[in-house]
Amino acid sequence: MTEPTEFDLIELATPYALNAISETERAAIERQLASAPAAVARVFRDEVRAVRETMAVVSAANATDPPARLRAGVLATARVENARQSRWRVALLTAAAAIVVGLAAFGAGIALRPSPAPTMAEQIMAAPDVRTTSSPLAGGTATVVFSRDMNAGVLVMNNVPPPAQGTVYQMWLVGDKGPQSAGTMDTAAVAPSTTHMFSDLGNSSVLAFTVEPGNGSPQPTGKIFAKLSLT
Amino acid sequence: MTTLVAEPIGYRSMTEPRRGGDLDALLRRVARGDADAFAAFYDHTSSRVYGLVTRVLRDAGYSEETTQEIYVEVWRTADAYDPAKGSALSWLMTMAHRRAIDRVRSEQAAGQRESRYGAANVDRAFDLVADSAIAADERRRVRECLDGLTDVQRQCIDLAYYGGLTYVEVSQRLAANLSTIKSRMRDALRGLRNCLGVP
Repeated sequence: MTEPTEFDLIELATPYALNAISETERAAIERQLASAPAAVARVFRDEVRAVRETMAVVSAANATDPPARLRAGVLATARVENARQSRWRVALLTAAAAIVVGLAAFGAGIALRPSPAPTMAEQIMAAPDVRTTSSPLAGGTATVVFSRDMNAGVLVMNNVPPPAQGTVYQMWLVGDKGPQSAGTMDTAAVAPSTTHMFSDLGNSSVLAFTVEPGNGSPQPTGKIFAKLSLT
Repeated sequence: MTTLVAEPIGYRSMTEPRRGGDLDALLRRVARGDADAFAAFYDHTSSRVYGLVTRVLRDAGYSEETTQEIYVEVWRTADAYDPAKGSALSWLMTMAHRRAIDRVRSEQAAGQRESRYGAANVDRAFDLVADSAIAADERRRVRECLDGLTDVQRQCIDLAYYGGLTYVEVSQRLAANLSTIKSRMRDALRGLRNCLGVP
């Protein structure tokens, strides 16, 4: 179709604002608008805005209370959405921005599209009591997203250098029974962005990191070089 | 609020809820995932949304479904709302209208609405049950302004805005040329805007 002239474009502002155009025309109008002189685009947008504000007021004429069940349905949907998405958003906002990289690597974008069977990480994110804590770690950042209700957490490490050959990073959940090993990461396991699940937080209040020889130790032998509070 | 006293049915009083803060603030809270704000936003606006959707779709089942979809979209995309571009109510009603029109057009494309298609009738709008969130004076004022349009202007708005026709289809329906239809639409909206005192 022929591209509209500037005059035609402004004339189309009202039909555009009323959605009284085809999708093809909408695309053509928006394309032309993007390259139109600023003054023309402003006139167009002012007109669209005025039409939409006007029709918003006009909506009072048709106002009809919807059935009560609709309210329940809408709010329930929001609660589910909240669990699936907003919790993510909140968790991600409170964590370092870099966490996104780690989670994307970990869960292939689970934050962005709900999967039919939520992964453990997703369930943690969706938990009503999800918390996030973050700390510098050996020049990088460690972030833990955890839920006491789920009794589980996800550790995300960004830009943490790998441990020296022949040693591992070992994680310890420290509770009233002292440190319990929460897994190890050897040189190969530590990437620019690394994730690790904890499935049993117990009553631990701290996640601590040590460097241990070989494949790790039953109890920490190295000095704790980083810790994250889980309280 | 002396403005509201001096001008009880002015633009602001017609678009702002009577309690619970203004819609823009509510919508910004919705964007942060505030479920209470979402419930309040729904309570302040759902009669407008449902009324518009029902007017366009003319089917209770489709209307409920579409209204639900609209509010899910509100919940998901509230953070895209930009107050600099217009009021929260306008953002909502634009989205609601777009959804309803998309639905009506896809139904038409599927041939399911042939019998109801084109039955747009302005009188029906005023037979609906009055609702609690919109004051009677607002409804009366809007109705007076609609009554102030010429018949051909009102017909254009009915066919396009409520009937889902494009301005090209309206011109075919009324056997009028395109620029005539565009002028009628523009004049209708200017008339309404002036009458309602929309800035």
